[in-house]
Amino acid sequence: MPPIDCEDQELLEGFLAETTELLEKLDDDLVALEKSSDDAELLNRIFRSIHTVKGASSFLGFDLLVKVTHKTEDVLNRLRKGELHVTPEFMDIILEATDLVKLLVSDIKAGDIQEREIDGTIAKLLPLLSEAPPAQTAEGSSSPSAEVAKVVIPASATENDQVVLPVEAAASEPSPNQEVVPAPPPKASGDMVSKKVPPPPKPAEPKGEDLSDNTTVRVDVKRLDDLMNQVGELVLERNRMIQINQDLQQGEPDRLDFNEEFGKLTKRMSFVTSELQMQVLKMRMLPVDKVFKKFPRIVRSMARDLGKEVDLQIFGEETELDRSVVDEIGDPLIHLIRNAMDHGLETPDVRTAAGKPRCGTLVLSAVHEGNQIIISIKDDGNGIDTDRVGRKAVEKGLVTEEQLAAMSQRELFDLIFLPGFSTKDKASDLSGRGVGMDVVKTNIKKLNGLIEIKSEKGQGSEFILRLPLTLAIIQSLLVDVEGEVYSIPLSSVLESLRVDQRQFHLIGNREILKLRDMVLPLIRLESIFGVKRRNEQDNFCYVVVVGTAEKRMGLVVSRLVGQQEVAIKSLGKYLANIPGIAGSTILGDGRVALIIDPVGLVDGGDTGGR
Amino acid sequence: MSNALVPVKADELHGELIQLVSFNLDKEEYGVEVLKVREIIRMPIVTRVPNTPHYVEGVINLRGKVIPIISMRKKFGLMDAESDKQTRIIVMEVDGELKGFIVDAVSEVIRISSSEIQPSPAVVASGIDQECIAGVINQAERLLVLLDLEKMFSRDEKNAFGSL
Repeated sequence: MPPIDCEDQELLEGFLAETTELLEKLDDDLVALEKSSDDAELLNRIFRSIHTVKGASSFLGFDLLVKVTHKTEDVLNRLRKGELHVTPEFMDIILEATDLVKLLVSDIKAGDIQEREIDGTIAKLLPLLSEAPPAQTAEGSSSPSAEVAKVVIPASATENDQVVLPVEAAASEPSPNQEVVPAPPPKASGDMVSKKVPPPPKPAEPKGEDLSDNTTVRVDVKRLDDLMNQVGELVLERNRMIQINQDLQQGEPDRLDFNEEFGKLTKRMSFVTSELQMQVLKMRMLPVDKVFKKFPRIVRSMARDLGKEVDLQIFGEETELDRSVVDEIGDPLIHLIRNAMDHGLETPDVRTAAGKPRCGTLVLSAVHEGNQIIISIKDDGNGIDTDRVGRKAVEKGLVTEEQLAAMSQRELFDLIFLPGFSTKDKASDLSGRGVGMDVVKTNIKKLNGLIEIKSEKGQGSEFILRLPLTLAIIQSLLVDVEGEVYSIPLSSVLESLRVDQRQFHLIGNREILKLRDMVLPLIRLESIFGVKRRNEQDNFCYVVVVGTAEKRMGLVVSRLVGQQEVAIKSLGKYLANIPGIAGSTILGDGRVALIIDPVGLVDGGDTGGR
Repeated sequence: MSNALVPVKADELHGELIQLVSFNLDKEEYGVEVLKVREIIRMPIVTRVPNTPHYVEGVINLRGKVIPIISMRKKFGLMDAESDKQTRIIVMEVDGELKGFIVDAVSEVIRISSSEIQPSPAVVASGIDQECIAGVINQAERLLVLLDLEKMFSRDEKNAFGSL
């Protein structure tokens, strides 16, 4: 076999990019095929994908890959001719083969081609091709792969640096489970079954699912052209600015003229930059489909493992959001889906007994709302049993009886996010360690997002995630606290009002404000941030009402400065974790203003007041 | 074995030149390795950051990057002084991050031979952490305290601060 030398590097990269894309689509198509097995167009597409991968890998000399894809192609060909029919067992085998292909591709990608056990999977494929001589597999043992192993391709630097949680392995790489559990293929003869080897230890790494590469971007040429136009305009405006500056230096124009010219320039400049900002933002946008498309596969394999029937409906997968957000929401969503599948939906028998359709529904949807994206995971299972949740939390010592008694419905729901909380008595491969929901909460918090739970016992539950579209630039409300300027993310500001301080009431140690029919706890920013009082005490001040989900809180400030779009700057690791501060930004005059973290303030707000 | 190595090492280092940036703090003169220093700037407007240790003056905008500013005087437990025309911020990379340190004045870049560095005496005045003193340079007309800022923020201090 021809070794891969450096000249082929470009070819190899092309192959990897194409194969990765095909394989991603393939998963989706295969799951869809199971539902509509007579869709000839779909079947042809699947066939073509596998065929393309086979062709390209044989050209590049990846023997193992060729062998697996070739057999898979043969089986699919029989399916296409109508000689075979789609059954769940059949799909298990095909999916297992696809997993193997992914694993092999990810080996090639990592530049670390290893000897993989492929006979087990091929042995399962063979019975589906009754004409194929079984001898062919025996000869196809992995001797050539030893040669392959010597070839080392320089791995691209940044991939694989993602931290994968240990619990992740169970869901993202379902093949090891499948390999042991499912019944032998229908046509398998006795010695075929005995040939089945235990799953190779390697596939336990969740590598195969992480094929997609996030280091390169594909951008629509039109968007690039637009960007070039914008930059062109920016250059023109810069020239204009240089001209104006020159004129001013030479003292030629009169003041009035300069003012007018400069005013015009400022307007055009701000127009061009905001256009440019939009363009770049758009380029960074990815459809949420990138995350969603791996779920049908996960849901299918989980449903089979759990013995449940699930209909997964996905809406709004074309909704776009920033790359940084897309990268971060994968994990929390998997946990939420797993949660819904394992705890939410009941087994078919229980469902029928409760008078519900046998097949449970899981709805995954994404939609834009203002400058937020809302992702919801809704199931029609048995909902959250708050009594049970409360009891478990007390049992595990996470809360005390007294605390429990004082809790609202909302707070009871929040208990499931506590680290270490689980309603399961024993940990299984899927759940029970009390990690998942904690991961969800921390990840969403990291993204400045909110989680809302709606649940009705017996009717199902819905988890609603509200996420910012981008992490880089936010709309914010600038406020003045005794001369210091702070910025509050507008997404969490509900309203702001001017209040006479004499309307404040003191309950216990806390100042509160009666706002319409609501009792609003107040936090004086000057006291929790230790700002020195500069001005005379004024009776009037402003209250900015911030909220996270159902919690509301009023921040008392001296003055509102205005609304501004600000770019978030990190404070660095030395100043990370300051309570109540989320980051910083640079104002128009070059000064730094701190961005307030309302979630942190609301959660830790008990120390506020006077 | 380690004893035997010491004289050899000292001999080797004899000719090695080190460049230091020297600065003043109260009445003493200090030095830091020039390679650690990114730039030296005048006092800009510093934004106070609440709930931080007293020696963290706040943050500044360094050409679009936000970096923390630490008062050397406060850190070393010296009397606080108003900033004047001489006051400078030395921007250095410490712990893999840019940080600014306020000093009374920056005087010069000096070259010394590494053999001139003596271990610091057991007791040093004015409450400076022993930890971050890498040595003392005793030249004819002056005494220079060599600082190692990586050690300035001892481990427990970092942790305590992180969990504030």
